[in-house]
Amino acid sequence: MIYRHRYFYNSLRAITSLITLVISVTANANVGCENTASEPGTQHRYSDAWGTTFNGERYQSSANTTINAENASNLKLQWSYGLSTQAPRSYPLVTEDTIFIGDGGYGLVALDKNTGCTRWANTDIKDIESAVVAGEIDGNTVLIFTGRRSGVYAVDAKSGKQIWFSDPKVHPVPFYSGSPMAYKDKVYVPISSFEIALSANPFYGCCTTTGGIMALDIKTGEKLWFTPTVENAGSIVTGRHFLFVEERGPSGAPVWSAPTLDTKRNLLYFGSGENYTKPATQTSDAIFAIDAETGKVVWVKQYTAGDAFNMACTISADHPNCPTDSGPDLDFGAPPVLTTLKNGMDIIVAGQKSGAVFGINPATGDTIWSTLFGRGGMLGGVHWGIAVDPELEQAYIPISDLPTGESDIAPGHGLYAISSADGSTQWSATLQENCKERSCWPGFSAAITSGPNIVVAGTIDGHLKIYRGTDGELLWSHNTVVDVESVNQIPAKGGTLDAHGPMLAGNQLIVSSGYDSFGQWGGNALLVFSVEEEQEQ
Amino acid sequence: MIHSMVLASRFKRFVATIIDLILTPLVGVIVMLVTGLLESAEAYTTMTTIAVRALSIAVIAYIVLHGWLLHTRGQTVGKAIMKIAIVDNITGEKAPLWKLLLIRMWFLPLIFLVALIPWSIIPIIDQAMIFTASRRSLHDWLCGTSVINQVR
Repeated sequence: MIYRHRYFYNSLRAITSLITLVISVTANANVGCENTASEPGTQHRYSDAWGTTFNGERYQSSANTTINAENASNLKLQWSYGLSTQAPRSYPLVTEDTIFIGDGGYGLVALDKNTGCTRWANTDIKDIESAVVAGEIDGNTVLIFTGRRSGVYAVDAKSGKQIWFSDPKVHPVPFYSGSPMAYKDKVYVPISSFEIALSANPFYGCCTTTGGIMALDIKTGEKLWFTPTVENAGSIVTGRHFLFVEERGPSGAPVWSAPTLDTKRNLLYFGSGENYTKPATQTSDAIFAIDAETGKVVWVKQYTAGDAFNMACTISADHPNCPTDSGPDLDFGAPPVLTTLKNGMDIIVAGQKSGAVFGINPATGDTIWSTLFGRGGMLGGVHWGIAVDPELEQAYIPISDLPTGESDIAPGHGLYAISSADGSTQWSATLQENCKERSCWPGFSAAITSGPNIVVAGTIDGHLKIYRGTDGELLWSHNTVVDVESVNQIPAKGGTLDAHGPMLAGNQLIVSSGYDSFGQWGGNALLVFSVEEEQEQ
Repeated sequence: MIHSMVLASRFKRFVATIIDLILTPLVGVIVMLVTGLLESAEAYTTMTTIAVRALSIAVIAYIVLHGWLLHTRGQTVGKAIMKIAIVDNITGEKAPLWKLLLIRMWFLPLIFLVALIPWSIIPIIDQAMIFTASRRSLHDWLCGTSVINQVR
């Protein structure tokens, strides 16, 4: 009898295993993709960096996109792909025939640009949350990206095989949250810190780490230098709680976003976040310029002084790890953008979570102009990224102003076009509230992108919109919070548009929809739209 | 097993375990504060470092809290309160301390790591085995021990 039971149990287990295997295989199988070539083309790339170009304008010229103000209203969904996360945070690299993107939880995938069919998948790397950027090693194209907790990866674009992995541990708990940049023989990697979350543990002695920028050798991944944003982080014991737990500082000033490269001056610009603990430094909530070759700091301009904040403060201001008089948590989460005005003058445009936008002299760091939109806040103001149209000499400023507490100041969520030369407002597109919940807040948190007389922006409530650059007229709007049929058979649904935002590449508009952080709507849809006339060709 | 020994009731064993599960982490908090094992960033570099340090705290707390009682009377604090004791299953004598520390001790601290290490579900199964006919947990079988009513 016992043997019969065992036989039955083993048979049941075998059948269950077989069913599980079949489901897992078929779930990632692309129907109708049998003839997809496995080797991607790498002759043409639609972007050089997270900011489309090295100077971070997030502007796609007519040479690289056929979508413009005349045909934007014709955009239709071409295909979609079901990602394996409800908070996709990878920004694609697009070549003439392939989209490379991190499919969070699954791996790095190379998808046929026209069909969404998988060319190859590297499923060894699970925590990709940065942009995928391209570099060259011995004439071959390599894909470079970061795993949020794991480190930096270089992968062969043709095969998907890993070339090197680097985790130099510039401090014990680095976050590789910002997107790297590959330029010539170096990879620049922004560094933030997991300590911002560890601070929520009252038994943790907060905080000892610093943000910064690290340079790696593109051939080997070996660390060349690291420039911290806080010198001697954690060297001062500022207090003690529970008798034994030491409070330390200075700390923080993480670099959350991709750097911007000034090839003319050989400078790297980046923004920093708040200090995690006191004493506050003069390098938090600041814009840095460092030598791109050596990492030496050339200038630092701080825009909010005395800002010390960490996750403990979101639990309670009385939390032992929350600094006294904490906040206001006004990072530069968005990269500074370098642009050239029509008179030949270069200027940096930088947006802060305060809602302030600054025009900065790239040589000196002096502020040329400033302007303010909305009320700003922890999740307000400029969150992930602005865009600049050099043709129209305009900067587009997306304002989130997601509510994070009681405020007497009215929110200013919406999109603003300002003159890059003097910061004057050219037009604005403010949005009406649909409801009182965070998930359906119509602000712009995600980074935006621009093209020929257009600006593309996604709202927290999941609407992807295209405005005309010259006057702000809404040309196209698409609600992404719907179920879509996916190429890879994984059920896909859109949600909040946040994080890296949309990309223009050829006749396509690419965006990941869904972001289940901060009480927003999760989603797992990689959506690829295209203009109809291009599809018919 | 010697027939004169009376196996502890499941209720007494269960309550004793609950008492130990409450008291051990309380001492663990003190150990954590004094040693600083989870105070610095180095503790959080990988899941392994977190698990090793957390387990170390739990083991130290277990020894600090129960070590003397185990050595002298074959009891944890919970068992002492419930008047039950651990004995050698064959001789009925107090179980050797080395067995109690090297084999038996690990199961209770591991319970606190269930959230970190999936396979540490084992100590929960171990505790659940007191509801079997022999009333012997997995750690009893491994140590050759039984839990009996305290003999005065």
